[in-house]
Parts: sequence; structure tokens; C-alpha cells
Amino acid sequence: MKRRSWMDRQGWIGMTFILPNMIGILLFFIIPAIYSFVLMFTNYQFSNPNWQFTGLDNLKRLFHDDNFYASIKYTVIFLISVPVSMVLAFIVALFLNRSVYLKGLLRGMFFLPYISSGVAVAFVWMLLFQPSQGPINEMLRWIGITSPPGWFADTETAMYAIDIVQIWLMLGYNMIIYLAALQEISTEQLEAARIDGASTFKTTWKIVWPLVSPTTFLLMITGLIMTMKSFSIIQAITAGGPSGSTTVLSLFVYKTAFSYYDMGYASAISWFLFAVILFITVIQWIGQKRWVHY
Amino acid sequence: MNDKAGNMMVKMPVTIIMFVLGLFMIVPFLWMLSTSFQTPTEVFKNWLPASLNWSNHIRVWTGNYDFVSYYLNSLKISVIGTVGAVFLSALAAYGFSRTSFKGRDGLFVVYLSMMMVPPQVLFVPKFIMFNWVGIYNTHWALILPAMFSIFGVFMLRQFFMSIPKEITESAFLDGAGHYKIFFRLILPLAKPAIATFAILDFSWQWNDYENALVFLQSPKLYTIPLGLQNFILENNVDYNGMMAASSAAIIPMIIIFFVGQKYIIQGISSSAVKG
Repeated sequence: MKRRSWMDRQGWIGMTFILPNMIGILLFFIIPAIYSFVLMFTNYQFSNPNWQFTGLDNLKRLFHDDNFYASIKYTVIFLISVPVSMVLAFIVALFLNRSVYLKGLLRGMFFLPYISSGVAVAFVWMLLFQPSQGPINEMLRWIGITSPPGWFADTETAMYAIDIVQIWLMLGYNMIIYLAALQEISTEQLEAARIDGASTFKTTWKIVWPLVSPTTFLLMITGLIMTMKSFSIIQAITAGGPSGSTTVLSLFVYKTAFSYYDMGYASAISWFLFAVILFITVIQWIGQKRWVHY
Repeated sequence: MNDKAGNMMVKMPVTIIMFVLGLFMIVPFLWMLSTSFQTPTEVFKNWLPASLNWSNHIRVWTGNYDFVSYYLNSLKISVIGTVGAVFLSALAAYGFSRTSFKGRDGLFVVYLSMMMVPPQVLFVPKFIMFNWVGIYNTHWALILPAMFSIFGVFMLRQFFMSIPKEITESAFLDGAGHYKIFFRLILPLAKPAIATFAILDFSWQWNDYENALVFLQSPKLYTIPLGLQNFILENNVDYNGMMAASSAAIIPMIIIFFVGQKYIIQGISSSAVKG
């Protein structure tokens, strides 16, 4: 057998297909990522030309920064939206997968939030949650809750109100993926269970749910990662306030970089965010085989 | 009771329950639309406007905030960005699926690993680099990066791999080269996948807020999400204007969604493997 030279004619042609894209990936992803990694070890600020390498100072500062721990706490609260949205989506998908009329229209209704502009949606929710006159609090008063929460205006409730918006936003996405998974399940298995006398609830819990567990696992992982990165909704609604009570990690990076221009430090925070995402991804790699039950 | 009637007995109530739940999902949009047609005194008081009051919508389009130019800016960026991303991703996807060279698979792993890097890591270095090159605060700062989509390469590669090898092999025997096969065979065959990616990519760019926020400064360059924000921050009490502007921002996406629903859903389903 003839050994191929390092780059034969075929190879060069192959390269020319990838090269235009690769140049962009290099310029807009790889080089900035390396640059950011280097910045993490500096005290670079946009206005200060006399920056220098400060070693691990940014990381030390990070682990002594109360704002950092607060942002982790808010991020964890934000992540509650992932499982909640998934459970609701699973239930909706179960119903839509059965015979219903107007399936396309119904699917569209649930999916619409996901496709619409984040900022526009954010503003509608700002009004819906408006404390004194907003329709949500009006309804709460109507059912007898005399002092409803201040939602986005209150440090105690702002992050949970964001969760509600995020659940609403992601429900359609999760539903579409669950629907795709449910359609893969063969009807024969379900028929067999029914013939054996299992109730619908039991069939769903004992057969359908385990069968979609790979999807559940995947949605959990991708949902956590997407939510960790997400930014627009919170920035548009509260910009991290009130009093920093919705400053999740992604906003903490943005604020540090572009409100305080503390870019070396911002890079360090952003790499912490990356480390968490990497960790979740590694769990996915390991878990794919082990945690899937059927 | 025959089978059809029995089916209907289940189908009808389930449809109604789902429709009520679905209404909850779209209530914010209905409320937005309703408020956009109300007068300031009606806001928060009535669910429906007393009469269709178009003045808010007219104010959005002709008032102090140049919504027309926000629209044109968004359109320009999204169209150029999407066309570029589709073409460059398709080329690379072909390279990764139909040609072979040393290090191809290793390079693909590098691509995939870049998907993990959160955008927050890249904002600061890109901000510095764009300032340095002089494209900060120009539309190029949004268009150029948007033309290179790792997700596009990934998704189109998956699709190209599903096209049977025999099709391209017979073309090879007829003497066609890679470029001819790409343009004449693969691209036409990949139309559904390309449509899917194009619609998704367009919607992402149309709705992109973070990049615009970081890289644009001059109000005349603003895209819709930024323009919207600008509109609202300075008009804190103008709820009707806010809702009219928000409706204007969302309507194109709703149209695209209903036209391309099939493609969007396919694309989302396949993007679950994105990771």
C-alpha cells in the first residue's frame, strides 16, 4: 500500500473547503479565547495602558469577593428554572403526542416565546409583574392576597420572577425535544402494557419516562449550560438589580468588564464560568452511559 | 359507541385543556398587542382597548426614535450574516464530511470544543481586538463574527453525512471534481437542512442583544433589540409606546415562525445534540 504524503492533492482540496471558515473561527473564537486566558493573569483595564502581569491575583481576588459568591447563589436560583421547565414540558408533550385537534397550532402556541425577541419579551414581563398595577398582582389581590410580592422590584423575589420568565421561555424548546423523543417510542410496547392492565399513569411513569431518560439527561445538561450562558432577558429586565440581586455569573462578567472596565478581572470570572460549563460537559460524557435507565 | 366517537370523547377535552394552557403561554403577547392599542389612561385597567388607537404605533415609526433605521440595520446585519454563515458553514461541512486529509478529525474536535466556550469569555478580547482593528462601533463588529458559525458547520455536516456516498462516487467516476459535486449535487440535496439552519441563524441574529450591546455605541447604528432598550429607558412611563415598539420587534419573527415552523422544529430537534 502506498503511503499518503502529508498533504496530497485530495487533502489540499479538502483544506480549501474548510479554510475560509477556519480563518474566521481562528479570528473570532480561538485567538480571543487565548487572549482572554492571558488577560486573566493581568490587571488590564481599558483606560489604563500600564497594565502588567499580576499572576494569580485575579483568582485570589475572585475567591475573596462577596459579589462572586452572591452571583453563584443567584445563578443557582436561576438554574432551578431548568428542571421545572423540563417537567412542565414533558407533561405538555405527553398530551400533544396523544391525539389532539389543531396539533400544529397548539405546538406553535407553546413554542412562540422561544423564538421571539428576548428584549421585547422582557419588557412585557416587566409590565405584567409591575408591583402596584400590573395584571399579575391585580389578579393576586383579586384572589385575596392583600400584599403581593414586588417581583423584579424586590431583592427577595427578583431572581424568582426571572425564573418564571425563563421557565415560560424554555418550555416550548424542551417540549419540542420531548415530542421528538416520544415519537420514537414504539406503540407496541405501550399496547402490551395496556393489555396487561396497566393504567395510563403507570404506563407513563414506568415505561415512557424511563424510555425518554436519555432525552431528559441531555435536556438537563444542555439546559444548565444554556441557562448559565444566558444574559439577554436578565440584562433587559433588571440589568442585574435591584441591588445586584439578579447578577448571575454571566451578568457579573459583563458588569465587571463594561461598567467597571476591569477587564483582567472580568476575564478571570468568565473563565470560572467556562470551568463550570466544562465540568457539566464532562459529567455528560461520563453520565451518558451510566445514568440512562431503560 | 363506535371507535371514532370514543376517540373524539378523549380528543376534544384534551384539546381544550391544551388550548387553555397554550393561552397562558401567549397571554403576554396578547397583552402586549392590546396595550399597544390603548391610551395611557387605559393601561392596567382594561384587558382590551376601548377602541383601536393607532397613535402608539405611528409614534414608534415616526417619532424621535428612528425605528425605521433600527429595522434596516437589523435587516442588513441579519441578512449578510446569515448568507455568509450558510455559505461558509456549508463549505466547511463538506470539507469535514466528504474530503479527507490528515488531521481532519482532530480539527473537527477543536471546532466542537469551541462550542463550549461561553460568549462571556470572548466579549472582552473581542472588544479590545475590534477597537484595535477599528471595527468597534461599526456593523462589521456584528456581521463578521456572525458569518462563522460552529453550530452551522456541525449541523450541516451531520446532514451531509446522511447523503449516500454512492451519489457522489458515481459523479466522481463521471469525472466531476469536489467543487462541482458540492455546488451541483450536495447543495441542491441539502436544501431542507440549509433552510433549517438559515431560519434559525436569522432568528438568532435578529434577536441578538448581547453582541449589539457590547459592540455598538452610536444610536444610529442600533439594531432592534438595542433600539428597543433605548426607546424604553428614556420613556420609562410610556407603557403604550413600549408595547407598540415591542410588537414591531416581534412581528417579523412570528411571521417567519409560522412560515418556517417545520424547519425550525427540525432544526431545534437536531440541535439537542449541540451540547
